[in-house]
Amino acid sequence: MLIEGLIAVAFVAALVVFVSPNEYAGRLAAALSLLPIVGSLYMWSQFDATGNALLGGSIAFETDFVWLTLGGLDVHWFVGLDGISMPLVVLTTILTTLAIVSAWTPIDTRQSQFYGLMLFMEANLLGVFTALDFFVWFVFWEAVLVPMYFLVGIWGGPRRKYAAIKFFVYTNIASLAMFIGFIALVFGLGDSVSSMRLPEIAMALRGGELGGFAGLDAGALKLAAFVAMFIGFGVKVPIVPLHTWLPDAHVEAPTPASVMLAGVLLKMGTYALLRFNFTMMPDVAQALVVPIALIAVISVIYGAVLALAQQDLKRIVAYSSVSSMGYVILGLIAYTTYGVGGATFQMVAHGLISGLMFMAVGVIYNTTHTRMVGDMSGIADRMPVTSGIFVAGAFGYMGLPLMAGFAGEFFIFQGAFASTVHAAMPLFTAAAMFGIVIVAGYLLLAMQRTLFGPFRFDGEYEVTEAAFHDVAPLAVLLLLVIVLGVAPDLFFQMIQQAVNPILQTGGGL
Amino acid sequence: MAGIFDFVPAIVLLPFVSFLVALAVGNRLPKGGAFAGIVATAGSFLLSVATFFTVSGGQTYNQTIYTWANGLDGAVTLTFGLLIDPLSAMMLVIVTLIATLVHVFSLGYMNDEGETGLPRYYAGLGLFTASMLGFVVADNLLMAFMFFELVGLCSYLLIGFWFREPGPPSAAKKAFLVTRFGDYFFLVGVVAVFATFGTAAFAGSESFPHLAEQALHGEHSVNTFGFEPRTWFTIVGLLVLGGVVGKSAQFPLHTWLPDAMEGPTPVSALIHAATMVAAGVYLVARMYGFYALSPTSLSIIALIGGFTALFAATMGVVKREIKQVLAYSTISQYGYMMLGLGGGGYIAATFHLMTHAFFKALLFLGAGSVIIAMHHNENMWEMGGLKDKMPVTYYTFLSGSLALAGIVPFAGFWSKDEVLYETLVHGLGGSPILLVAYAMGLLAVFFTGFYTFRMVLLTFHGEPRSQTARDPHGVHWNVKGPLVVLGILAATAGLVNMTPVAELTGLEIEFLHQWLGHGIEGLTSHHYVELLESQAGYHAAEIGPIVPGLVSLALALAGAGLAYFLYNDAEPTEHTDKLGGAKTVLYNNYYQDEYQVWLANSLVQPFSRGADKFDQGVVDGVVNGVSSVSLLSGNRVRRIQSGVVSNYAVLLTLGLTALILGFGLLGGWF
Repeated sequence: MLIEGLIAVAFVAALVVFVSPNEYAGRLAAALSLLPIVGSLYMWSQFDATGNALLGGSIAFETDFVWLTLGGLDVHWFVGLDGISMPLVVLTTILTTLAIVSAWTPIDTRQSQFYGLMLFMEANLLGVFTALDFFVWFVFWEAVLVPMYFLVGIWGGPRRKYAAIKFFVYTNIASLAMFIGFIALVFGLGDSVSSMRLPEIAMALRGGELGGFAGLDAGALKLAAFVAMFIGFGVKVPIVPLHTWLPDAHVEAPTPASVMLAGVLLKMGTYALLRFNFTMMPDVAQALVVPIALIAVISVIYGAVLALAQQDLKRIVAYSSVSSMGYVILGLIAYTTYGVGGATFQMVAHGLISGLMFMAVGVIYNTTHTRMVGDMSGIADRMPVTSGIFVAGAFGYMGLPLMAGFAGEFFIFQGAFASTVHAAMPLFTAAAMFGIVIVAGYLLLAMQRTLFGPFRFDGEYEVTEAAFHDVAPLAVLLLLVIVLGVAPDLFFQMIQQAVNPILQTGGGL
Repeated sequence: MAGIFDFVPAIVLLPFVSFLVALAVGNRLPKGGAFAGIVATAGSFLLSVATFFTVSGGQTYNQTIYTWANGLDGAVTLTFGLLIDPLSAMMLVIVTLIATLVHVFSLGYMNDEGETGLPRYYAGLGLFTASMLGFVVADNLLMAFMFFELVGLCSYLLIGFWFREPGPPSAAKKAFLVTRFGDYFFLVGVVAVFATFGTAAFAGSESFPHLAEQALHGEHSVNTFGFEPRTWFTIVGLLVLGGVVGKSAQFPLHTWLPDAMEGPTPVSALIHAATMVAAGVYLVARMYGFYALSPTSLSIIALIGGFTALFAATMGVVKREIKQVLAYSTISQYGYMMLGLGGGGYIAATFHLMTHAFFKALLFLGAGSVIIAMHHNENMWEMGGLKDKMPVTYYTFLSGSLALAGIVPFAGFWSKDEVLYETLVHGLGGSPILLVAYAMGLLAVFFTGFYTFRMVLLTFHGEPRSQTARDPHGVHWNVKGPLVVLGILAATAGLVNMTPVAELTGLEIEFLHQWLGHGIEGLTSHHYVELLESQAGYHAAEIGPIVPGLVSLALALAGAGLAYFLYNDAEPTEHTDKLGGAKTVLYNNYYQDEYQVWLANSLVQPFSRGADKFDQGVVDGVVNGVSSVSLLSGNRVRRIQSGVVSNYAVLLTLGLTALILGFGLLGGWF
């Protein structure tokens, strides 16, 4: 019952904060959000799952009972963890607390609602990563959007309404595509499944139980469903060309929401791609290797090139997320231990590093009230600690060795280059790897222009070092990034155990 | 038994600890953490010396010490380990010695000059040293790459040390970016090595050079991605070489290095002599057994090296600033090392790496001393006459200059001569392409002699040409001490390997040959010679070293003599007009910077802006178009967008409910 406890604590905390006075809401939310961290760390310490939760591996902290019976199918309350979801649960709990602390300075209206929504989002995110029944999972998946919608729409920047609606409509339509694709599969499986539990469906699909549906034969149905789900999840990742909601959402979102959006919400997309498309239908994925790898390469390079053109620090980081998530897609399609495992690792690594970067930009914004590169220079003179961490975080983003980003990217590169799913994989990999040069280009340029050089600031605010509680979350994230970069095996061992069963039908190494 | 090798990790970790100390409490320490750095690097130096003697006793060490990523079910395991053989033991001593001297020198250059941000400076030096040492002891290519990148980070931090000025941050960015471009190829190479061999170890029977050798003999099969094994090994070797060309500032990725002069001068000494730039060449030497399998790779290395040596030397002849001359000399000298490696002279190149480390550190520190004296004016045309005012600096600098120019018996003569000699004999022995590289390297000797003595004469001789030169600022023991140590080494280090003398007298005095001839099987110079002969088709022609040595000496003297003839005046003139149109080209460094800046500013920037317009207009335009056409009519959008957020709550809830309802109806549950 640990997982239920974890989710329930977050829900209750959200409710408590929601009714608390605005003055205390931030501190209270931070304090209460420590409980899920303790819980997730305890679960990590007790974690004993081996194998993949969907493919017959043992599941940690499993709960499975029939919740509802609707139509011919049972809906189970079925939650549990394996090596893929465990790291993401830890990431979610830690990042939520840090994002809450980072909100103390910028959020000065309706605090209790803000922090309540943050905790409500955490609860749903934990649900997404732990749910193993499609119905349960889908409810959490959709429910995550609601708090994010309000966080952007109420506390966001000048164009917050446009951004919030775009985010919501875009991702909701995507959910619909994914939903239809998945339900079609369930119908195609017919009587061979008795519930919507993901392991049952995954085994049935991999076992070739799929029949035709709605005039499509099994092969066409599978292909159509794969594509629909790939697009549906791809919006969330986001893959090019389905990414345009992301920069708008990030630019308008308040810093803590950006941290959660880039740090965790994007990972919902890649997590779902891994769980559904790449785990359940490896044959289709491998048949589509060229288009998928191309999407990955284009996302990496195109996202990085767009980042190069941006003048808004937040847009730079936002587009670079598109680029980084492209690596994840490349790793997934490789179907190797290092490829898929590296992709999973990269989800965590990028969650920490993008969170760090968004927070660092936010701390500068709190002081200067601008994020435009041209509006300031030499900030390091006045904000040495923040700037120092900014530089460290930027190098993390560039994939500096002994930081988490390098581990994730290197694993992916290695796995993708050695992949046997297609003869051109080494070329795709080498092309995508060029992203490491472009990322250095735009981050170094942005730092040179904003942090360094003679101090200049056109605004009316006084530029001084940020408060301790603004910098502390940055320092914590930086430390975590370094720890994971030095010892990636902290997560990579369990990730490999969960990933390897996926590979058994295809790929080598 | 706890042998000395158990303390090798401490060689790397001590400077790392000094980094942490300087970063954390440097403000509260006297001298901003300098002493922590000095103690740490001196400690590393002593341990390195002890290691060196242990290795000279015939012991070596090749040990995995940390598993970074443990691959399950047959996946590759990625590890860190230590490889201590004669090559790395020698390099450890060089790096730690120079790092220690640079720390001491910094007391005079930074502390005494009242710089702020000293903890940051010493933290950077500590991390730089630690990264380089980690790179030197690396037992596999991945670990080498990782520390190689950290070295790049440190160069960024230190070149950009004076971040409040506009120049240094720009130079720092350029240094990192240009070397990153090279490292991109290196990283592809690392990944390719893993994919090919399943290991990236440098030494042992399961090392990639050894497996490659076996693959060529058909004794072992590796995944060569559909290529002929030798072709594939050449491709992989050249990919790794990309990183070498970037870090060792070889053409065409040399452009970052002259800009890097924006950093503090002691940092330049460290970068040029012992750390970053040396890392590239060291890497080729480290995996020489792999390059020796591919004559194509070797030829390309030799040609890059020879061309860079000449190309950079010509640019050095017109520079006005003392550090700029030294910067181009560094590029040129690393060109010689590459020439040596490509020309089959593994020992010669390693030898030059060592002597160059001493004399280039010396020259930079000497220049630093001059710069202190000149109140941070670096223009040689405003110097002059410093010889009498600062004799210690002058004589040590002269020692370094004689070494750089390659005048007998200073260190650079012996090593540069051997590089050229090895290239020549292998060129004549059936690899004629090496003769082209040799010719370029030989011609560069003349230019080297010229620009070196032009620099010495302009700086120290003649009449003072400015007020500061008439009344220079004094320097202390912390500046003179390191200069004296290095001055002696620059004069004498070449004596360890006097090949022409050995040839003449028949004495066994080629100590470096003996040193690199032992060690771990497969990493000895004897093995490399075998590989060069059997795999690369390198054969040495039967020529004695005396005549070629005299030729290069004569050229060096001719260059130095011309400089003496032109600039040994009380009031020297520039003489650059005699160069005609070449003058402008040389002042502008053959427009290498221009075209790279053009690439960045006039090609990449507009391209990215165009992509951005495309993204905003077309990709996002389609999204917005679809939403306004198909979802809601224009009027409704306007009504919704003018509403308050609580309206959206209704919308949201309705939408969600509709989805779940649809879900239920589809499933026939109601």
